[in-house]
Amino acid sequence: MLEIKPQQAAPAATPKGTDRIRVLSVIVEDGPNTLTKVSGVIRRRGFHVRGFSVGPSRQPGRSRITLEIDHGHAEADQVRKQLERLVEVLEVEDLTGDPMHSRELVVATVAASDLDALLKKGARILSTASDGTTVEFSGDGDEVSDFVHELARHGIVDVVRSGPVVMRRTE
Amino acid sequence: MVLEALEREGVEYIFGYPGGANLPIYQHLHEHPKLKHILVRHEQGAAHMADGYARASGKPGVVFATSGPGALNLVTGLCTAYMDSVPMIAITGQVNSTQVGRDAFQESDVIGATSSVTKHSYLVTKIDQLPRVIHEAFHIATTGRPGPVLIDICKDVQQADAERVTPEFLEIPGYKLNGHVDLGHAHQAARALAAAERPVILAGHGVLLSHAEHELRQFAEAAAAPVGTTLLGIGAFPVKHPLSLHMTGFMGTGWCLKAVQNADVLMMVGMRVDDRVTAKLSEFAPNAKTFIHIDIDGSEMGKNVRPHIELVADARLALEAMLPHVGALNADRGKWLAQIDAWREEHPLRYKHSNGQLQPQDVLIDMYRRARSEAIVVADVGQNQIWAALWWNYDRPGLFINSGGSGTMGFALPAAIGAKFGRPDLPVWCVAGEGGFVMTAQELSVAVEHKLDVKIVLLNNFSLGMVRQFQDDFYGGVRSQVDLTHMPDFVKLCEAYGLPALRVEKFEDIAPSFDAAERTKGPFLIDFRIDPEANVYPIVPLGKGLNEFREAPEYA
Repeated sequence: MLEIKPQQAAPAATPKGTDRIRVLSVIVEDGPNTLTKVSGVIRRRGFHVRGFSVGPSRQPGRSRITLEIDHGHAEADQVRKQLERLVEVLEVEDLTGDPMHSRELVVATVAASDLDALLKKGARILSTASDGTTVEFSGDGDEVSDFVHELARHGIVDVVRSGPVVMRRTE
Repeated sequence: MVLEALEREGVEYIFGYPGGANLPIYQHLHEHPKLKHILVRHEQGAAHMADGYARASGKPGVVFATSGPGALNLVTGLCTAYMDSVPMIAITGQVNSTQVGRDAFQESDVIGATSSVTKHSYLVTKIDQLPRVIHEAFHIATTGRPGPVLIDICKDVQQADAERVTPEFLEIPGYKLNGHVDLGHAHQAARALAAAERPVILAGHGVLLSHAEHELRQFAEAAAAPVGTTLLGIGAFPVKHPLSLHMTGFMGTGWCLKAVQNADVLMMVGMRVDDRVTAKLSEFAPNAKTFIHIDIDGSEMGKNVRPHIELVADARLALEAMLPHVGALNADRGKWLAQIDAWREEHPLRYKHSNGQLQPQDVLIDMYRRARSEAIVVADVGQNQIWAALWWNYDRPGLFINSGGSGTMGFALPAAIGAKFGRPDLPVWCVAGEGGFVMTAQELSVAVEHKLDVKIVLLNNFSLGMVRQFQDDFYGGVRSQVDLTHMPDFVKLCEAYGLPALRVEKFEDIAPSFDAAERTKGPFLIDFRIDPEANVYPIVPLGKGLNEFREAPEYA
């Protein structure tokens, strides 16, 4: 059985450590150097990626990157400011601490045939095969972590998890 | 196409080196007589020449190099320019676009290798991208906070035919320029400084880059606030001005450091506030109740010191906006300025030359006596750099050039050559130690070839002086790998390169050697055999606060 460590709570994370996480939504120009530049800034400035996802934005030629970044010893605002310096970066929105929807996706194949507990949590069955059943589930980071713990009880054959996508919640 | 675009951008000099992957560009060079190409002897030399040219002339420096080793030899020079915000365009040849990624001959991932030391970079794989890219590159390199931009052009693009296109409209959505001054903050900052009991202004390279020296002087005089400069800010404020604190930082003047550590309001203009300026960060300006920071790069705000009032703007525009709001000054200002004068008396710049050895200060003082403010000094890195910074009275911008942020040894000679191309009207003095000098000494050929009036002052102490001083003072006195006894005979070396040179070992010979240098047209080197134990003072021990600066033992 695989041991899954929840993404949100690394062992070393003290309360102070979790305070250091910034959630950023970044619009970038699609291009061969963009990802190198973004990751280069993160590495060079001593930041650490905790969550990452990328997909097309509404505008053609532009993508949206969602980043969860530990800003390390730097001032919290430095992550946004350093990203903004890149010519490939069009817009950085810092959502840290704001009301938001944050969703992650998990896809898993489990050996067990009784999937009631998983379905009750909101899982959807994608396919069934001889080695197990493949399900998907989405939720915020905590919900996905809880779901992965639940999966563990069902004998995980394989599991993949996405990084987060976030959107500001309008009241 | 590349060369036409460079002509359009008004390029005058290109410092470069041909090779397999940029041959198509070189094939057509002779058709563009307006572009003067300077063939260097090593690509690092090209980058430093372009850097020196840019710093002296204010125009962007242009570099050519081929793919692979050629381009990678630029990295140190790009980093030097990046750290000091120098506008530069590096055009490197890349293998054919169809060969990229196949480990072709002399292929290297130049974009990957230079991303962290360039302001921006482009890989050009199609001819129709080229006019826009070159125009954009010049715009990005020279505007906002300047910096080097690299354009890596595939060889097949270099030889492709294309219609002539003149890009006029420039839209770079991800490139944000901060020009707008927050007037509220400007008002607040001006008042905070005027109302302060013990104000201090520190000025950095940004003041020079935005040509704000006049505005800085007006503002400082109106607010009766003393001004220190960073190493790169030298020239932003006249050293002989009554409000001058000269240079700040961990090798700054004693009176400046005392002023910074006692200031109640500290305004930092056009600077990064790096560790060489602050020394131990937690003990930097401990009495300052208000930090004001002005810089065109918003990411500098709070990167090292969190300001209470910030102005993300061009230094000149910010100071201009602040000037009308100075208003009434704090009544105790006279007391503060008198205190600074007392510190200046107590901790002057001083040295002794009683041990019979040639002191570096003797050399620099004689140089200054001759050149006054009508010469450019290009220093290398190490003790020579700090001596050259402290022992001249620079009273205007652009006269002192050195590698401040990157601290690149070997910078001085090629940068001095570049500076001379950029400002042929001014005498150019290159001040270097023997350690840094030999790192790029091959560029002497360029000075000889072009009969450049570059005078080289070698402060030769037969050791890596700054490292030796650090080992003596901070690393238990263990001298490790700093002995440079085995060096070429520099007079003979110059003879081999084809330039005249003199060796000077005695104080009395300083003046005649400078006379000879000044009489000679073209390059000239003087090998000054200085006191091998000469040190830089004052100095703040590593890891200590600015207030713990040490003076020379004989004055301590």
